[in-house]
Amino acid sequence: MAGLSKGSLAALVALIVGALCLLLETTLPWLVKFPEALVVPATDWVGAAMTWLLQLIKPIARGFSALMSYPMEATNLILGSSPWILVIAVVTAIGWMLGGVSMALMAVVGLGFVLASGYWAESMNTLSLVAVSVPLALIVGGGIGVLANEYPRFRKPVQAMLDIMQTVPTFAYLTPLLVLFGFGPVVGLIASAIYAAPPMARNVLLGLERIEPEIKEAAIMAGGTRLQQLFQVEIPSAATQILVGVNQCLMAALSMVIIAAVIGGFDDIGWEVLLTMRKAQFGPALMAGLVIVVFAVIIDRMSGTLAQDNRKRYDARVAWGILAVGVIASAVTWNSLPNPSEYSAFDGAVDAVDAGLSAFTTANWQWLAAVKNNVLYFGLLPLRIGLDEAVLPFTWGFQWTAQWSLGLFAVGAVAGLILALRGQVTWGIMTLIFVGMLETGITNLPWPFVLVGVAALGWVASGRGLAVLSVGLLLTILLSGLWDRAMLSLYLSGAAVFACAIAGGGIGLLCAESPMAWRITRPICDMLQTIPLFVFLIPVLMVFQIGEFSAFLAIIAYAIVPMIRYSRHGLTETPDEMIEAAIASGATTWQILRDVRAPYAAPTILLGLNQTILYAFAMLVIAALIGTTGLGQLIYLALGQADVGLGISAGAAMAILALIADRMVQGFAEERRKVLGL
Amino acid sequence: MNDTPQAAISCQNVWQVFGPNADSALSEALSVHSEPEAAAAALREKGLIPAVQDANFEVAEGELFVIMGLSGSGKSTLIRCISHLLHATHGEIRIDGENIVEATPDRLIELRRKKLGMVFQHFGLFPHMSVIDNVAYPLRVQGVKRKAHLEKAQKVIELVGLAGRETHHPRELSGGQRQRVGIARSLVTDCSVWFLDEPFSALDPLIRRQLQDEFLQIQAELKTTIVFITHDINEALKLADRIAIMRDGKVVQIGTPSDIILNPVDDYVREFSKDVAKGRHAHVASVMEPGEGHVYGADDPGLRVDMTLDAALARCMDLYEPVPVRAEDGTLLGVVNPADLAAALHVEAG
Repeated sequence: MAGLSKGSLAALVALIVGALCLLLETTLPWLVKFPEALVVPATDWVGAAMTWLLQLIKPIARGFSALMSYPMEATNLILGSSPWILVIAVVTAIGWMLGGVSMALMAVVGLGFVLASGYWAESMNTLSLVAVSVPLALIVGGGIGVLANEYPRFRKPVQAMLDIMQTVPTFAYLTPLLVLFGFGPVVGLIASAIYAAPPMARNVLLGLERIEPEIKEAAIMAGGTRLQQLFQVEIPSAATQILVGVNQCLMAALSMVIIAAVIGGFDDIGWEVLLTMRKAQFGPALMAGLVIVVFAVIIDRMSGTLAQDNRKRYDARVAWGILAVGVIASAVTWNSLPNPSEYSAFDGAVDAVDAGLSAFTTANWQWLAAVKNNVLYFGLLPLRIGLDEAVLPFTWGFQWTAQWSLGLFAVGAVAGLILALRGQVTWGIMTLIFVGMLETGITNLPWPFVLVGVAALGWVASGRGLAVLSVGLLLTILLSGLWDRAMLSLYLSGAAVFACAIAGGGIGLLCAESPMAWRITRPICDMLQTIPLFVFLIPVLMVFQIGEFSAFLAIIAYAIVPMIRYSRHGLTETPDEMIEAAIASGATTWQILRDVRAPYAAPTILLGLNQTILYAFAMLVIAALIGTTGLGQLIYLALGQADVGLGISAGAAMAILALIADRMVQGFAEERRKVLGL
Repeated sequence: MNDTPQAAISCQNVWQVFGPNADSALSEALSVHSEPEAAAAALREKGLIPAVQDANFEVAEGELFVIMGLSGSGKSTLIRCISHLLHATHGEIRIDGENIVEATPDRLIELRRKKLGMVFQHFGLFPHMSVIDNVAYPLRVQGVKRKAHLEKAQKVIELVGLAGRETHHPRELSGGQRQRVGIARSLVTDCSVWFLDEPFSALDPLIRRQLQDEFLQIQAELKTTIVFITHDINEALKLADRIAIMRDGKVVQIGTPSDIILNPVDDYVREFSKDVAKGRHAHVASVMEPGEGHVYGADDPGLRVDMTLDAALARCMDLYEPVPVRAEDGTLLGVVNPADLAAALHVEAG
């Protein structure tokens, strides 16, 4: 064993355990299927404990709920009963102050579109939820950030809590909140405040930590009290970062308000999307989705300008002028304007889309079905249940037999041996492991192999601590009986992440090489990142109907963006000196890419992969709405039945998977960075 | 306490140790080892970092005291102990007789508002405030009325030569201008003890020289007690009344500039003075031998013991006639006056 590197050793152990499991699986079936008898009814326990706890704080929650309904109804009343001319004028005036003509124009055009679409009333309902939840999130998040900065002892726990909150799927919050606060818009409000507070807290803390120490010292030496230092010097110095937090907070709140529509009870735009989607009215669903996108873009771009350094100042008189015009126009047209819900400028277009879409799918169904089936039969299904079960005469044209398995392993062994002989021992062993996993399928992997494999990966990525943590957390999933579901989730997100890594990495490389490609890709990436999760479901559903393939596509569409961005960024940030040195050594373009730029970019690309994994998990839960079978579906079911135990356990299992993946990729990125001395 | 006039700043057995449980680890080490060296070694053994070890010195009122050392020698840590940006792990630091290590937080705020001023290497300007608001900030925290504090700030801004830039923001200023703002801010409260932490190190050489000269002028006018940190021996020699040299957390030598140049205590200090034009800092006394048994001519350049070596050399050279300069083949190209040779060696006259 002495000659083996850490990676090879870990891979070898995993390989041996995997091989043993494969050999013994016929005689010892419990190796593959964890014995039912050992499963602990953890879900029920969690349910009982949570129900008890929730009952305990329910009176407080209901009181809070009653309290929050006042500001909510007030903003709802103001936004809902204000003449639309006035609302548009106010937003336009704000747009002018923030970004001049372009922002003002964007506000007019965007809100004009919303008005004409006939979804004005629903949009105002959504907006009023955001308007109440955001201040709540800003205060709570900002407060947490400032306190964590004041008391360094709390920084670590607070950071850990924020990390966990980022990985807990959005739907999982909803079930306990539903029990606590009862049906109604307050649940959406609270959920979006909870979801939107962490980015604020994170950015406030980051901004305060990043202030130059000498600036803080100067404030001390000036004789300021702690409060003076904080409010007169530190917070203003960190303003840019804090405003980034405000922007993220707004976007998170909007996204969550729309997701919270699944619990219903409030006639908002998210509900509209859901309703039309359920009725398969894709034209209206698309229209409502576009309204959401318009809001997301307006809110994002406007608040984004706040966080720019040296932003230009615009003449306030123009803003007052716009407001005055709005007030006068509202007064003149008072009571003579038709109800905005009756506008339906796009009804024709919507019907046309609906009709066009039906025509398109009927005309092309063969082709579309072929795409879908090919991916399913030759990609997803073997990955899920293994080649030995997925290869059937009516899909692949022949029956998989034991001989085939032997042949596959033989090929894998030869390939592994060649790699090992060429010095790539770790990759050689990994090849064999991959072959084995392909033959077995992710959902059929023996659980001892998964545990050992994860421990090995964790150990290589960052050491014994992570290995122990990962195995411990996975054991809770195994013991609570959620293992099969977890493996289903792992398989689908794994497949999507793999596709994102290949496609996103490729696009990132292309964009790094060609500025032209980046000019085209960049606005698309910006747009994809602005769109709330929910909206991704509409187009895939329109074309491919409910099913795993649609979910797969939706996840890719959402999760590919960070991979593209980080790959491009990593590949373009190589210092000029290093490239000049490579050129001076006589390297070709390809050699420079392979030997200099790619290794230098590796830590950044790994961070992109990490983001992609987290995005994929987030989307996986939302995609449960259109048909996935993993933990996401459980969470969604739990929400429907108000089953707190199931919701929390499944949510926790999802968070555990995300957390382990996050830590491992971070560990590898950290290690690469250390190697490069960054 | 003693007969000599009270020092403006006095440091006794000052230690600053970084690491977990530094306090108890240091008192344990000090109780076991009487020698600071041994105590420091024991601390290092445990993985702690003794950044300042047993610093002892006094700074007289109105004295310009320079602490010099390479990066990592503990000089920045030491000045932060004296200004109490760091709480010294052990020892006594008295400012005008008051032990600030034990001062209450309120008293510290009071001291900083009335008595102490500090200038930072990277300026530490508040990015969101204009020049005048930066300068006036120490007055603002005291609750001085806006009109009064702006008036006072205006005066200091004029003193440092920034008049006309009051409404600029730090990002619109050059490095030299930024440090002028830093200096103005530290002076706005009429401090009596002035800390400068490598104030000119981040500036380019020409600006640095200019600011040093202006700094000396301001000091001649204000006569505050100054603790000045630098890593540049030439800057130390130019500005200091006395210099303390630090290495690895220890103060290895304290003395006047010519002490440091001519009587370095060890190779470390000698290494510093290597690059220094000794002629400008050493005096005739340092190379003078006893007069008995020597025969000298009638020429007397008029040397005195307190002349710098440069000046003495120039006087001696004055005795010579101009000498010829020839081409390879012996033709006369011109003449050189030996006095001019000596003058050309001076980096700077005086």
